[in-house]
Amino acid sequence: MIPLLATIFRAASLGALAATGFGVLFNAAPRPLAFCAAGGALALAVRTALLGHGVSLEAATFLAAVTVTLFAAGLCRQRLGSNATAVAVAACIPMVPGAFFARSLLGLFALTAPDVLPLDQSFTDTVVSMLRVVFTVGGIGAGIALPLAVLRRCEF
Amino acid sequence: MILRHRDLEQIALVALRCARVLMQCGSSVRVIHECGALLAGCRGVELLGMRVGYASITITLSRDGNSITRMATVPPPGVNQRLDQAVRTLVREASETCMPVAELSERLDRLMHDVPRYPDWLVVTAVGFACAAFAGLLGADALALPAVAVASGAGQVLRMFLHRRGVNLFVVVTAVALLAAFLGGLGARLSGSFTQELALVSSTLLLVPGVPATNAEMDVVDGYPTLGSARAVSVLMVMVFIAVSIWLAQILLAVRA
Repeated sequence: MIPLLATIFRAASLGALAATGFGVLFNAAPRPLAFCAAGGALALAVRTALLGHGVSLEAATFLAAVTVTLFAAGLCRQRLGSNATAVAVAACIPMVPGAFFARSLLGLFALTAPDVLPLDQSFTDTVVSMLRVVFTVGGIGAGIALPLAVLRRCEF
Repeated sequence: MILRHRDLEQIALVALRCARVLMQCGSSVRVIHECGALLAGCRGVELLGMRVGYASITITLSRDGNSITRMATVPPPGVNQRLDQAVRTLVREASETCMPVAELSERLDRLMHDVPRYPDWLVVTAVGFACAAFAGLLGADALALPAVAVASGAGQVLRMFLHRRGVNLFVVVTAVALLAAFLGGLGARLSGSFTQELALVSSTLLLVPGVPATNAEMDVVDGYPTLGSARAVSVLMVMVFIAVSIWLAQILLAVRA
């Protein structure tokens, strides 16, 4: 239990740092920036906890995105107003599997290399990682869009 | 109140200007449509249609048998949340008070100049820390993290430099990813890290188009699959260019994946 809590704390801290950094890059105002940090920590904490209980990466990412969107657009709606969507998006950015996508594309490059061995294994690994990226990105998008559609978000 | 054709044109043009800024700031299509409807509706004008494309927006307004269609081009989209929120607040106020078109246009001009941005040094530092955090999440060892922070910060400096000179988006992506990946990999190697490949990849994560990717999906969910698809294709192309740069950096550094 203690190692899992330590892993969750570490992931939440790094998630908060990444979400804040991207919030600054996106020129978010200081108050929404604090919510970005909280949302990033929440997203990574939920995802890491679910992964620790054997949930798949894709499902854990989807549920984390739903949680963060409910946090931003539901619980903090009064304070965030139309910022809620932007905060939910920034908070979910640390879960975008950019590195895995780059790796899967590199895997495709490797498939065409002259000395690729064994081909079947390389091909399977590449396709599996590509599919995981697609499902994870899909999970993030659906996890943000569906709660917002249900909550009838206030955009103005 | 009788509106002349010229009045309709002024409303259409200011609605297009607001929509254009929102689009440039990273808003979804639903927001652009609501913006057009709010600005037209408060004047008793009917929004007959609005088409939001990747590079242009078209609006058709009608009142008392008069109708007008106007189109505006949209520069490549970016993300600026503070300007986005400021424009939304202005549009809501303009809708509630039926603000004269000239005043709305003037205030929009002012917003575009007055909305503050974080200083460059802070953005570069924040990007460095964010990418280092990403690297930590992906499992890079502690020795690699400073190298990732410095490499991605250098990448951000180059991105701002090229962006201000109006260089093509994909050229910017390729150049920044190559520089960041090379410096990240080299720094990790020099610092004795065992996760050189992770450092190399993590240094390019400042370029991952997270907002366009989520916008693409939200647009499709909201019922605008055309722009959603266009955004998805642009996201895919950005990722392909990042991957090519990582591949080149791996060759230069002789790193095996």
